[in-house]
Amino acid sequence: MSNQKKRNFQIEAFKHRVVVDPKYADKTWQILERAIHQIYNQDASGLSFEELYRNAYNMVLHKFGEKLYTGFIATMTAHLKEKSKLIEAAQGGSFLEELNKKWNEHNKALEMIRDILMYMDRTYIESTKKPHVHPMGLSLWRDNVVHFPKIHARLLNTLLDLVQKERTGEVIDRGLMRNVIKMFMDLGESVYQDDFEKPFLEASSEFYKVESQEFIESCDCGDYLKKAEKRLTEEIDRVAHYLDAKSEDKITSVVEKEMIANHMQRLVHMENSGLVNMLLNDKYDDLGRMYSLFRRVTNGLVTVRDVMTLHLREMGKQLVTDPEKSKDPVEFVQRLLDERDKYDKIISTAFGNDKTFQNALNSSFEYFINLNARSPEFISLFVDDKLRKGLKGIAEVDVEVVLDKVMMLFRYLQEKDVFEKYYKQHLAKRLLSGKTVSDDAERSLIVKLKTECGYQFTSKLEGMFTDMKTSEDTMRGFYGSHPELSEGPTLIVQVLTTGSWPTQPAVPCNLPAEVSVLCEKFRSFYLGTHTGRRLSWQTNMGTADIKAVFGKGQKHELNVSTFQMCVLMLFNNADRLSYKEIEQATEIPASDLKRCLQSLACVKGKNVIKKEPMSKDIGEEDSFFVNDKFTSKFYKVKIGTVVAQKETEPEKQETRQRVEEDRKPQIEAAIVRIMKSRKILDHNNIIAEVTKQLQPRFLANPTEIKKRIESLIERDFLERDNTDRKLYRYLA
Amino acid sequence: MGNSKDRIKFNVGGRIFETTSTTLANAGRDSFFGALFDDEWNLSPSPENLFIDRNPDCFAVLLDLLRTGDLNVPTNIPERLLHREASFYGLLNHVRTAKWGPFDGNRLRLSDSVKGIAPGDGTAIRAGPDGGCCVAHGSVVHVFDWMLDEHYPINLDYQRVNDVGWIDSDNIVLSACEKLGRGDGGMGLFSSSSGDLRYKFQVSHENQVKSYTAGALSFSPDYKIFSSCKGRSNEYGIGVWDQITGKQTDFFYESPGWSLGDADKLQWLNGKNCLLVATLFPRKDNCYISLLDFRDKNMVWSWSDIGSPMAIDEKRVRDAIAMEDSNSICVVNEFEDLGFIDLRMYGGSVRWSSRSRLMKSKMPDEPCYPKLALHEGQLFSSMNDSISVFCGPDWVLTSRLRRSYGGSICDFSIGGDRLFALHSEENVFDVWETPPPPII
Repeated sequence: MSNQKKRNFQIEAFKHRVVVDPKYADKTWQILERAIHQIYNQDASGLSFEELYRNAYNMVLHKFGEKLYTGFIATMTAHLKEKSKLIEAAQGGSFLEELNKKWNEHNKALEMIRDILMYMDRTYIESTKKPHVHPMGLSLWRDNVVHFPKIHARLLNTLLDLVQKERTGEVIDRGLMRNVIKMFMDLGESVYQDDFEKPFLEASSEFYKVESQEFIESCDCGDYLKKAEKRLTEEIDRVAHYLDAKSEDKITSVVEKEMIANHMQRLVHMENSGLVNMLLNDKYDDLGRMYSLFRRVTNGLVTVRDVMTLHLREMGKQLVTDPEKSKDPVEFVQRLLDERDKYDKIISTAFGNDKTFQNALNSSFEYFINLNARSPEFISLFVDDKLRKGLKGIAEVDVEVVLDKVMMLFRYLQEKDVFEKYYKQHLAKRLLSGKTVSDDAERSLIVKLKTECGYQFTSKLEGMFTDMKTSEDTMRGFYGSHPELSEGPTLIVQVLTTGSWPTQPAVPCNLPAEVSVLCEKFRSFYLGTHTGRRLSWQTNMGTADIKAVFGKGQKHELNVSTFQMCVLMLFNNADRLSYKEIEQATEIPASDLKRCLQSLACVKGKNVIKKEPMSKDIGEEDSFFVNDKFTSKFYKVKIGTVVAQKETEPEKQETRQRVEEDRKPQIEAAIVRIMKSRKILDHNNIIAEVTKQLQPRFLANPTEIKKRIESLIERDFLERDNTDRKLYRYLA
Repeated sequence: MGNSKDRIKFNVGGRIFETTSTTLANAGRDSFFGALFDDEWNLSPSPENLFIDRNPDCFAVLLDLLRTGDLNVPTNIPERLLHREASFYGLLNHVRTAKWGPFDGNRLRLSDSVKGIAPGDGTAIRAGPDGGCCVAHGSVVHVFDWMLDEHYPINLDYQRVNDVGWIDSDNIVLSACEKLGRGDGGMGLFSSSSGDLRYKFQVSHENQVKSYTAGALSFSPDYKIFSSCKGRSNEYGIGVWDQITGKQTDFFYESPGWSLGDADKLQWLNGKNCLLVATLFPRKDNCYISLLDFRDKNMVWSWSDIGSPMAIDEKRVRDAIAMEDSNSICVVNEFEDLGFIDLRMYGGSVRWSSRSRLMKSKMPDEPCYPKLALHEGQLFSSMNDSISVFCGPDWVLTSRLRRSYGGSICDFSIGGDRLFALHSEENVFDVWETPPPPII
């Protein structure tokens, strides 16, 4: 029995052998705790890292990791509590400095403590998923110092005060600011945001609310914008110097909201200095500033654009509807071009070539140019003027610039076919009278029109040029085959294709015998080379150069119209002729004859014949004789015809009617094209599609479209649906 | 001489070592030496009197590791002791990275064999991302770290384990059979170091939590876990869970005439954003392979041997692996013939490469079905007691790994630059490593 007991006792002794000294952990911890104290008191020079590391290692190895971890937290907490009291005791300006100093000390100490506890960090903490030493140290600082009740609010207020001071122009210690705010960032994004950024943004919002109110009461728009811009750059600068870069968007949006978004309407409409004023006075700097500031806020640019559009439309409407200003077509168009140049420059210099602004500009021009029904005519007249005389002596590049600008206006026109009508007329006049200055410029414009509106638009215009060219060749051929004609009068014929040229009813007139003989010769020559053609003489469009000798032997060459030539030639055989006699001999229609005689007899300085009685108007009873006393400084004298450059009212009506007439087949063609592909379509859709298809040429009138549909139904191209009368069917 | 400031002399466990601070700086700041020579710690006492109370022999090995980057352990130093010392200095990662080189199937060497005490055959072995592994035996999973130290085994109420997988070096997912009548089983997430159960994954059908049997596992880089599931009332299909929250996010129900819930193998295809699901003979009478797109709940590709005439030598697919680079699926039969199915064609057939007819003669008594693995363009296939390595576009046999005992290989896995092979007998697993790169 006793033997057995002894054996039992031995077994117990064996069990006890592995137990370590119970005080071992406490002792080791005391060493480490003392070291932590020394580190915090900046008295670490006597410490042996190797010893401390080994002790911490041994504690973890012997399963005292928990004790080590909680001990470290408790010791650090105690220290930080003490520090927070010291920081709190700091007075006035030294408060931040003290906080910053203690924060730096804590960081350094934390680094050293982490070094000692490195083994625990890697093994014990890793496997227990507790916070690591470094983040733990930061959390402790946050909870015991930054969130310490007596520091928390004071710290925030101090920082906000400093920002406020800087905003009012004082110089503050930016380095210190940066360090303290860096501390918030180091403690984690949420700490920075909750404990600093949010209140900072709120205070800023309040500040700028008050300031913007003050400014807007006392400054004009330009000055206000300058101040807002300055504040904005200041805030961006502040972020760069001592805030988190992520705060930039937030603080700038506060400034934008308070200083711009909230006062947007008032700024734009400010009396005598708002947007309209800036536009009128070409204030590029102010406009540019407004653009760059307003683009930062929602609806900012929309506001600016809307006001600009409204102003443009108002201004344009006045420009095109003022009867005084539309007197001179050239000046009218020039004024439009000037306005466009002005706004182009504003958009390119101040609005950064913003597409939406360009669109607004274009739509405004389109709006008001079409308010005046004569715009197409005027633009064509402007081109006519430029091509007749305006482009003389201008470099080719500049010509292009002028033409491009004209094209810009052309693009705004809704009734492009009306423009085409006028352009054709004006071009015909230029070509036939040989008045065009530059063939290249003419052709360049045609090319531009072609790229803008397509081949169809310009094919007739190009046909006119071809006619001119072939006529030249024909004339060479004519004189080549008739060498006997080198003596006597010279006939130059321009063969015009019917349809390509603006048609005018051929006015009959009796040509002088010498000329009509030539004409017959040409007719037989031409029909001899071109079979199946018909020639008719457009005498109303011709000109003639004739030589005249007056009473005292003054010789002059007179440049006259064909009608005038017919009249003058009569005086070769008679000294005095009555109106009736002239009318009988020439058979020129009365209205043309009167105009012709008026220009020969009544224009001062060019009156190659005289009439009796002397008066301004031509009477049926008047008689005419050669003005022997006619003199002129020039050898060549051009006798103009009395024609209005601008169309007269009835002519206008006529052109208008012709345009309407020309539109009919185009509308019908569009309807048929659409119906052919769709087979069935309702009324509203067909109107919409036709309008869309004809848009590049003119704005089709819905009632006109309806009429065309009716006409097509009559001619069995379409039929109405039996059940739904709104539906049309295509009949193949 | 010229740079005497750099020279450091100190005493480790009674032996004087002389080195330079630049050599010691190779240890990195987060190490014993990194802290020791930091300016904050103004070395006290001065380096000449510095004494470190550690084993000098091990320190010599570690100092050479810092000097050369090579690990040379003399036979008289036990590995465990060296690891212990490396852990003290914070150099354990240095040791791990020096111990073996980047994985290459054609340069593998057997570095270790670990014997277990578990009864019966192993179910699965899975390599961890940093060189550890876990082995499933019956209802328990044994966890080993890269030093092949065994940690706490993990289990899910001791239910039969079907599959196991590493989410990262510290998290293992285990799938197990349902416990009849108790509603347990399913899937659990465990800490690999402590063996603690972090959470259990649940399956809900029509907002009701149901018990289920979890089968094969797969993980995707966007933190999803996939598992084949069998529920009590025919709720078969593929469940999807979030790795972070542990919540079920999706369920792909099995359609009639097809098999998903019984799948032997799941494989996430990153490029195609699809999951490969393979159910194979003999679990089912037929083989079903499909690709599932979870974004629009669509089976985007499928293949099955239903109705195909039985070949004379009865080639049945025993394992399958998708190879995204060549747009094909590689399959293997019980004779280790490799076959390929084109992924670009719907309903294509298997193109067999009959290579290993000669092996048929020496079939062992207890055959193990072949398994496949793919690693950086190298294809691995296990058959009986060896693993074959295939390379190149035509998959040429380039190496064969074999050892003399342990019997047939029932599973193998590649990861953390190591290959682990689990044998069916003796409960042993082998560790194959690529040696560190040559000196010149």
